[in-house]
Amino acid sequence: MTAGGYFGRALVVDARAATASTLPLPDGLLRAYIGGAGLGTWLLHRLGPPGFHPLAPEAPLAFVFSPLVGTPLTTSAKFAVVAKSPLTGMLNDALASSHFAISGKLTGHDAIVVRGACSRPSVLLVDGAGARLADAADLRGLPAAEAERRLRDRLGGGWRVAAIGPAGERGVRYATISHDGRHAGRGGLGAVMGAKRLKAVAVRAAAKVAPADPQAVLAAARDLRARSFGPATAKYRQLGTLANLLAFNAIATLPTRNFQAATFSGAPQLAAEELAEMRTVTRSSCASCTIGCEHIYGARGGRRARVEYENVFALGPMCGVADPDAVLAASGRCDELGLDTISAGGTIAWAMECAERGLIDAPWLRFGDADAVLRALDEIGAREGLGELLAEGTRRASERVGGGSAAFALHVKGLELPGYEPRTMQAMALGLAVNSRGADHNRSGAYEADLSGEHDRLAGGQGHAAAAVETEDRAAVMDSLILCKFLRGVFTEPFGEWAALLSAVTGWDADGAELRRTARRIVMAKRVFNLREGWRPQDDWLPQRLLSEPLEVPSGRVAMLTPERLRRMIDGYYAARGLDGEGRPGRAALDDLQLS
Amino acid sequence: MSSSAGIVLAGGRSSRMGTPKAALEWHGSTLLRRTAGILSRVADGPVVVVRAPGQALPELPPQVEIVDDPREGLGPVQGLAAGLAAVASRADIAFVCSTDLPFLHPAFIRRVLRAGAEGADVGLPVARGHPQPLAAAYATALAPAAARLVAEGRLRPAFLFGECTVARLDEATLRGDPVLAALDPDLDSVLNVNEPADYQAARARPAPEVTIQRFGALADGHRGPLPARAATVAGAAAAAGVDLGAHVVAALNGDQITRDGQVPLAAGDTVFFLAADAGG
Repeated sequence: MTAGGYFGRALVVDARAATASTLPLPDGLLRAYIGGAGLGTWLLHRLGPPGFHPLAPEAPLAFVFSPLVGTPLTTSAKFAVVAKSPLTGMLNDALASSHFAISGKLTGHDAIVVRGACSRPSVLLVDGAGARLADAADLRGLPAAEAERRLRDRLGGGWRVAAIGPAGERGVRYATISHDGRHAGRGGLGAVMGAKRLKAVAVRAAAKVAPADPQAVLAAARDLRARSFGPATAKYRQLGTLANLLAFNAIATLPTRNFQAATFSGAPQLAAEELAEMRTVTRSSCASCTIGCEHIYGARGGRRARVEYENVFALGPMCGVADPDAVLAASGRCDELGLDTISAGGTIAWAMECAERGLIDAPWLRFGDADAVLRALDEIGAREGLGELLAEGTRRASERVGGGSAAFALHVKGLELPGYEPRTMQAMALGLAVNSRGADHNRSGAYEADLSGEHDRLAGGQGHAAAAVETEDRAAVMDSLILCKFLRGVFTEPFGEWAALLSAVTGWDADGAELRRTARRIVMAKRVFNLREGWRPQDDWLPQRLLSEPLEVPSGRVAMLTPERLRRMIDGYYAARGLDGEGRPGRAALDDLQLS
Repeated sequence: MSSSAGIVLAGGRSSRMGTPKAALEWHGSTLLRRTAGILSRVADGPVVVVRAPGQALPELPPQVEIVDDPREGLGPVQGLAAGLAAVASRADIAFVCSTDLPFLHPAFIRRVLRAGAEGADVGLPVARGHPQPLAAAYATALAPAAARLVAEGRLRPAFLFGECTVARLDEATLRGDPVLAALDPDLDSVLNVNEPADYQAARARPAPEVTIQRFGALADGHRGPLPARAATVAGAAAAAGVDLGAHVVAALNGDQITRDGQVPLAAGDTVFFLAADAGG
C-alpha cells in the first residue's frame, strides 16, 4: 500500500519516441529519499547512464514533487528539477514554487522524468490522458512568461506550464526553467530542457491523493500558518530577501566588483529600505505560501520588477552598478532571456575584470557601466559576440581566455558564487567548497553559523565544519519534503517537527533521528553521483582569489582565509560525514543508498 | 600561535571597597564581565580570569577561562605569574589588568599591546600621574621570571621591570594614537575604583556614547544612525527597541556577530542590528 501523499510511481517520458512508461516507486524507497531533491537524486542515479553528457539526449530531466505538495501546509507547493548540470557536470537540483507543483503531482505521479530529445521544438503535455508531445514552433524565441501565457491560452483552463526562454533554447549553460514568474534557477537546467527541444512542459491535474491523517495535517497547517506570521519571517514579509543588502554591506559580506571588495559604496541606493520608501511596491506570494516574500517594485518606464537579494547583488555590486533602475532592468532582462542572475552577473563581472586587465578585447565592458551589463546579457542570451564565450560560464570561459583569469573566476565546480563573501563568512566558505551542487547558498546554509554569534566568522575551525554539516543536512530534508527555507526559523526542533509533518501526511512513524539519517543519505547520494560522474578531490575547493587576498572588515580586523585553514575545515567536514581523506565514502554508506 | 591574550586579575581582597569588586554593577553589567568582555574584543587569543582559590565570580561568557591562583594574598606578581603561565603556549603577549576598570577602552589596549610588537617585554602606561602595571602589556615569556620573583618574596612589579625591557608609554605617547586620542582623550581607561566613593562616581557617569544602526525590518521606518548611550549590547538593543535573541543578532563595529546582550560597549562603538536569518 502506498503511503499517504504519494502515488508511488514516476512517469518516464521518452521524448524521442514520444512514449511514456511508469516507474514504480516502492514505499521503502520513498521513505529513504522522501521526494523533491532527495528522490530526484535517486532518479538520476537510476535513469542516467554513467558518464552521460548533460546535454545529450539520454540525459534525464526530472520534475520531482513531494508528499507535502497539495496539502494545506504553508510553502509546500514546491518542486525540484533535477538533472546533471551543463555548468558543473555534476548533480543539480533547482527548486521552485508554483501551481505547477500541485498540478504536476496531481497528474498522478511523484515525478515526471524526460529522456531523449524531440525532433523539433515541442511542448510536453501531461494530464489524465497520459503524456504526449505537441508542436511548439510558434513559441520559439519567446520569453518563458510569454510562452507560458500563449500555451495556457491555447490549451485552456487547468493547465500549468514550465517553460524556458531564448537562453535555454540556445544552450546557455546557466539558463533557467520558469513558471508563474518563478524560476528553477541555478545550474543551467533550462539548457538541458532546450537540448531536448522542449520549450515547455504543461501539466493538468487529473488525480487525487490524500494524506494519511487529514485532521493532523490540518492542525499542523494551522499551527504552521500562525507561526509563519511571527518574527522568524518578518524580514521576508516586510522587505523580502533584499533586506540582506545593507546589512551585508555593514558587516563586509557583500561581494563587490568580482569579489575584489566586500562593501559597496552604492549599496544604500540599491537597498530594500530605499526602494520601499521611494517606489511603489506590491507583495506577492508563491502558491500555498503565507509568508509572501516577493516584492515587486515600480521601475523606470512604468515597468514593474521582482527584486531578490541575489539578483541585485549579482547585477549591482558584483558588476559595480549602483543605479537601481539599471539593476531592475538587468534583472528583468534575465527573466526575459531565462538566465540565472547569479551566474550571469558573476560571469559578466569576471569578464569586466578580464577587460580591465586586457585579457579580452571588450573595451565597452567596464565595472559600473549599466549599459554594458545589459549589452552583455543580450549577447549571452543570443550567444553572439562576447556572449558566445560568456554563455559558457566563468570556469569554461577562463579556461579559454587563460592569462591567469582562472584565479579570479569565482566559481566552485563551475557554479558561480552567490552573494555571501566567504572570507568574512568562513563557515559558508566551507559550505560552498564541499557542496555537491557547487557554490550554492541554498544547499549549504552555513551562513547561519556565521551569523549565529556562536562561531568566529573570520576564523573558520572545527566548529564551523560541524555547523556546515548540520545546515546541509537541514537543507537536504527541507528540499525533499519540500518546505521553503524561509520558514526554517519557526522550527525549534526542526528534524522532530518535520518528522511529525511527514508522518501525518504519509502515515509513517518517522522521528527526528530517522530524518537525520535520511538527510545524510541524501547528501551522500548526491556526492556519490558526482563521484560516478568524474568528481575529483580538488573540486571541493575555493577560487584562488578567496585564498590569497585578505579583506578588512569595518572594525579594522583583517579577514584571511588561507588554504591551510580551508583544508582543515574540509578535513573536519569529511570526518563528520564519514568520508575518507579524499572525500570518498566507505562501503557501509554506499550500501545504505539503495542504488542497486 | 595567536599573538595576544587578555588576563584579568580578579583575586584582590577588595578590602577598601568592602565588597567584592568583581561583582559590582555598572550600567547593566558587572565590572568583571565588562573588563573580560573588553579584553575579548581585542585579544585574538585566550582571555583568562585569575581568581583566588575558591573565589566566587559573577557570570562570564563561556570562552573566558578561569585560572585559580595557587596562592592567595601574594599580590599582583603572583597573579601575573599564574595568568601568563596559563596563556604562554597560546599567545606571545598579554594585556593584564585588574577587574575594576569600567572605562577601559579597546583602543587603549590595542595601543599598549603594540609596545610588544615594537620589541619591548612590557608596555607600561604612565598615565594620570602613575605607572599602571595593572593596565599593561606583558610578554608571556616573562611567566617563569614572575614565578621566580614570587618564590623569592620579591612581590612588587618593579622587580620584574628590572629584569626586562620596559617601554614606558607616557600620556603624550598614548595620545599619539589618533584612535585612542579620539575615543579616550582623558585616558580614563586607567581609572580604577578602589573605594565606595570611586564606585559611586563611576556609576554617576553616563554609559558610553555609541551609534546604533538597524537594518531591514528592524529599522521600522527609522533608517540611519541612532546615537545612544549604552554600556552593553543589551542596552543598545533596549535603546533601539530591538528584541535581541533568536531572530535578531548584533554586529559590533561590523565585526563579530553576537546574541550576547552582555557584550560591553565602549565610546565610539557602532552596533548593527540585523536579522539572524540571512536567506537570500
